[in-house]
Amino acid sequence: MSDTPHEVHESRILRTELLWAFGVGIFVAASLSMIVFTALTLNVNPPSNVERIDPKTLHLSGEFAEQNLGTTVFGDGTVIVRAIATQFMFVPQCFAVPANRRVTLRFASPDVIHGLLITGTNVNTMVVPGFVAQVHTEFTRTGDLLMPCHEFCGQGHSEMWATVQVLPVDLFKPGPDGRVSCAKR
Amino acid sequence: MRNAERLCLAHFWVAFGAFLFACVLGAWQMWVRSPLGAKIGTPGDYFMSVTAHGVSMAYVLTTFFIMGFGYFVAVTALNRPLPGWIWAWGAFWMGILGVVLALISIGSGHASVLFTFYPPLTANVWFYIGLVLVVAASWVWCALMLVAMHAWKVDNPGRPVPLAMFATVANAVMWLWTTVGVAAELLFQVIPASLGLVQTIDVGMSRTLFSWTLHAIVYFWLIPAYIAFYTLAPRAAGGRLYSDTMGRLTFILFLIYSLPVGMHHLLMDPEHGNGTKFIQVLLTAFVAAPTLLTIFTITASMEIAGRLRGGRGVFGWIATLPWKRPMVLAIGLAFVMLGFGGFGGIINMAYGMNAMVHNTSWVTAHFHLIFGGSVVIMYFAIAYEIWPRLTGRDHASLAPLRLQLWLWFTGMMVMTLPWHWLGLQGQWRRVSNFNYADPIIAAWGPWVVVSFVGGIILLTSAILFVWNLVTLHRSEVSAIAKPLYALAVHPPRRVPAALNGFGLWNVLVLVLMLLAYGFPIAQFVIEPSPAAIVHRVR
Amino acid sequence: MTEQRPQQSDPHVLDQPWRIWSTIAVMGIVLVGILLGVIVIPVVQGRSAGIDAFTAICRALGILPGSPAVPQFTDRTPPTPVSQVVWTPDVLQILARADVAKGKAKVQEVCIACHGENGVSVATEYPHLAGQSGAAIYKQLHDYRTGSRVNPQMTDIAKALDEAVTADVAAYYAGQPQRNLNPVTLAVSPPAIVQLVELGDPRRNIPPCASCHRAGAGGPIEAPVLAEQRDEYLIQQLKLYASGQRRNDVYGRMRLIASRLTDEEIKGLAAYYRAGFR
Repeated sequence: MSDTPHEVHESRILRTELLWAFGVGIFVAASLSMIVFTALTLNVNPPSNVERIDPKTLHLSGEFAEQNLGTTVFGDGTVIVRAIATQFMFVPQCFAVPANRRVTLRFASPDVIHGLLITGTNVNTMVVPGFVAQVHTEFTRTGDLLMPCHEFCGQGHSEMWATVQVLPVDLFKPGPDGRVSCAKR
Repeated sequence: MRNAERLCLAHFWVAFGAFLFACVLGAWQMWVRSPLGAKIGTPGDYFMSVTAHGVSMAYVLTTFFIMGFGYFVAVTALNRPLPGWIWAWGAFWMGILGVVLALISIGSGHASVLFTFYPPLTANVWFYIGLVLVVAASWVWCALMLVAMHAWKVDNPGRPVPLAMFATVANAVMWLWTTVGVAAELLFQVIPASLGLVQTIDVGMSRTLFSWTLHAIVYFWLIPAYIAFYTLAPRAAGGRLYSDTMGRLTFILFLIYSLPVGMHHLLMDPEHGNGTKFIQVLLTAFVAAPTLLTIFTITASMEIAGRLRGGRGVFGWIATLPWKRPMVLAIGLAFVMLGFGGFGGIINMAYGMNAMVHNTSWVTAHFHLIFGGSVVIMYFAIAYEIWPRLTGRDHASLAPLRLQLWLWFTGMMVMTLPWHWLGLQGQWRRVSNFNYADPIIAAWGPWVVVSFVGGIILLTSAILFVWNLVTLHRSEVSAIAKPLYALAVHPPRRVPAALNGFGLWNVLVLVLMLLAYGFPIAQFVIEPSPAAIVHRVR
Repeated sequence: MTEQRPQQSDPHVLDQPWRIWSTIAVMGIVLVGILLGVIVIPVVQGRSAGIDAFTAICRALGILPGSPAVPQFTDRTPPTPVSQVVWTPDVLQILARADVAKGKAKVQEVCIACHGENGVSVATEYPHLAGQSGAAIYKQLHDYRTGSRVNPQMTDIAKALDEAVTADVAAYYAGQPQRNLNPVTLAVSPPAIVQLVELGDPRRNIPPCASCHRAGAGGPIEAPVLAEQRDEYLIQQLKLYASGQRRNDVYGRMRLIASRLTDEEIKGLAAYYRAGFR
C-alpha cells in the first residue's frame, strides 16, 4: 500500500469507487427493503384517500354537515370521526376517541389547505380542499392530546387547534344515535 | 475580463444583500415566536416577514448566486469570454425588477402567502410577476450556459468538457426541467386567479405542480456546493481530485434523480394514491446515492492532499490538511452538517417515519441544516475563494474568514438540533406565536430559546461574512494569480458522450417524469379536483 | 482493402455501453418501483383486509378512494336540504360582474329608508353598509331569503329580491367609500381588547378577530368588515350568536367564539371596531 497518489493506477481508483458504490447500493436497498417490509407486514402506508368532495358545498353535504361532525359509532362497531378544518378552527374543537380500537378519522376543508397532527400518535395528514383526508389509527394511550393545524392557512393559523380526548373503554359510551362527545372537564 | 468580473460581482452582491436582509428577519422571527417575545408582533407582521425571508433565501440568494457563479465558471473553466454578455446583463436587470416587484408587494402586506404560496391563498399579482421575472432571468442564464458549453465543444472536438462547466450545465439543464412545474402552476392557475379572471382553483393540481419544482430546486441550490467539493476543494487543500469520472456521474445522477421525486413532499396529502407515492419514494432513495458517492470521492481527494503534506497512518492525513484555508475548513464543517441533514432526509423519505415529523419543526430544522448549513457555508467558501480573482485584491488575513465559518456552523447546529427534538415532540411549524401557558408547549419553551440563541449567532456570522467581503474590496494586498481548479489524479483524455453531454440523460429524464408524474398530473386533467374558492390576500 | 474497425477511443464505441446500461439501470429501477408500489404491496395488503386485487390496485393508484389495506367506510348519511349560500363559480362570477347602477337604483327604492343613502344607517338598530364586503351582504340577503337568518323586516325585503339584484345591491354598497377615518379621532383601546383582536385567546381557543375580519387577510370571503360599524349592532349580533339564536355562520365559528366572550369583551370589541380600527 503506497501513500503517494501517483502510483495509484486508474484501475485501482475505479475498483475502490465501485466497492464504495456497491456499499451505497446496499444502503439504498436496505432503506427501501425496510419500507417495503413494513408495508407488507404491518400495512404501513402514507395517508392516501383519493376521494373527491366539493369544498363549496361541504356544509350542505350529507357527511360533513354541521350536525354530523364529531365521533360516531356505527352499528357494526366502526368508529368514525368527522371533522372540518376551516379558517381558523377545527369543528368540533374537541372530539373523543376510544383507546385500543381502530378509529377512522375523516377530515375536509371548505376553504384553504390545512394540515393536522395529533401529538404522540402517527396521525398526520394534509387537508386539501377538494378531497377527504382519511387516516386509520389506533390510540394506545389515554388522555388529552393536542391536534394543531400545521400548514399555514392564513393569519389565524397559530391559534388553530383541537383537543382529542382518548377515553378508556369504560368511559367511551356512545349515545343512542351512536354519537360520542367530549367529556366536560 | 472586466465585464465578466462586474457581471459576477453584481449577481453576488444582490444575492448576499438579500441574504443579510433575510438573516435579520429570521432572527426577529425567532424572537417573536419564543417565550421572550410572546406579546410582540402581530401575525400580520410575522407572516409578512416569513414570506420575505423565504423569498429572499430560497429565490433571490440562490438564483443570483448560482447565476453569478455560473458565469464565473463559464469564463474561467473554459478560458474564453462569455457568449452573449448583453443577454446576461439584460437577464440580471430583469431579475432585479422581479425582486423589487416581489419585495414591494410583500412589504405592502399584499403577499403574505409564504415562499411556497400554496393556493387557494392568493397574493397580489405583482408578487407572482416578480417571481416569474426572476425565473425568466434564470432561463436566460441556462441558455447562455448551454451556448457556452456548445461553443467550446465545437472548438474542442473530442475533448472532455472541464468538470466545473459540465456540472454547471448539468445544473442548468436540471433547472430548466425543474421550473416547468412552478411555471405551469403560475401561468395557468395562480396568476389568472390573482388577476380575478377565475374565482376558483384546482388545488390538487396546483399542489402537484409545485411539488415537481419543490424538490429539484433544492438540488439546483446544492450543485454549486458540490462543484466546489469536486473542483475547488482538492486544489485548495493541495491535493488532487480522486476521480473525475465519479464527479461527472454524480452530477448526472443528480440530474436524473432530483426530478421524479417531488411527491415525497406530498406523502401526507390525500390527493395521490399510495402506489404513485411509493414509486417516487423508491426514486428518492436513489437520489441519496450521489451524495454518498461524493463523500467517498472527496474524502479520498482530501486524503491525497493530507498524505502529500506528510500525513501517516490511517487517519493521520486529517490533521495535516491545511485547515487554515477557508475552503478546506468549510468542507469539513459542511460534511458534518451534511451527515446530520442527510440522515434527517432519509427519515423524511420513509413515510412511516414521515408521519411523525411532517410539518413539524423537524422539517424546518432539516432544510435549514442541509441548505442553510451545508450548502450556504459552501457559498461562503466559494465567495472567499473567487473574490480575489474578481477584485484583484487578496484577504489581508484569513482569521476573520475562519471565524465567520465557525460561527455559521456553530449557530446552525445550536439552532437546528433543538428544532429536530421539538419536531419529534410535535411542535408544528409556520406559527407566529405559541401559547406557552399550555403545559405541553411550555416544556418546549427553553429549547425554543436555545435555538433563538443559535439564530443570533447566525446573524452575527452573516454580518461578518458581508463585512469580510466589503473589506476585501478595500484590501491593500494584491491578489496573486494561482490555479483555481483541481486536477484529477488521472485527468481524462477522452470521455464517452454520455459523460460529456446531456442528450441521453434528457431522454431518460423525460421517461422518468412521464412514469413518475404522468399519471398524478393527468388524473387532474381527466377528472379535475372539485375547485376551491380563491382566497385573496390583498 | 483493409476493414475500418472502430477504435477503442472512438466516442461511439465508448458510448454504446453507457447508453445501454444506463437505460437498463434507470428503467429497471422505475419498473421495480411500479411493480412494488402499484401491484405487489397493494395486493398483499389487500389480502390481509379481504380486499380483492383489482380494487386494491385501483386504490393504490388513486382511481378509487380508500386504502388498499383497510376496508373503506361508505357514508350513508342522508343529505341535508340546501339552506345556506354556496360559493359556486357561477355565484362568484355573478358577484364579480354585478351592475352597480342597478344596485343603486334598488337601494334608493328599498334600502335607503333604514340603511341610509350613503350606507350610513338612520338608527342604531340598523347596521351601516357602506364599504361592506360584497360577499358578506350577498350572503346575508340570501340567508334572509332562505330563512337561514331571521329578522322580521329583512326577511320580507330579501324575499322580494332575486339573485341578480341581490348581487347588484351588494356590489353597490361594497363600492361605497369607507367612511372617514381620521386617526386623530380614534379612541385608545384597552390592551386586552387589542390583544383579542390581534392575537386571539389561546386559552379559550379563540383565533384573532383580525385574521378573518381584516380586509385582505385572506380569511373566509363572507366575513364582514367590522370597522366603523355601529357598536350597538355589533353587541346585539354577538349576543345573538352566543345564545344560538343567530345560526347562519358556516360551521358555527361565530357561535362558538361569541359564547366564550365575556360581556365586557363584547362591549370592548364593539367599541374598538366602532372607533374605526381595522
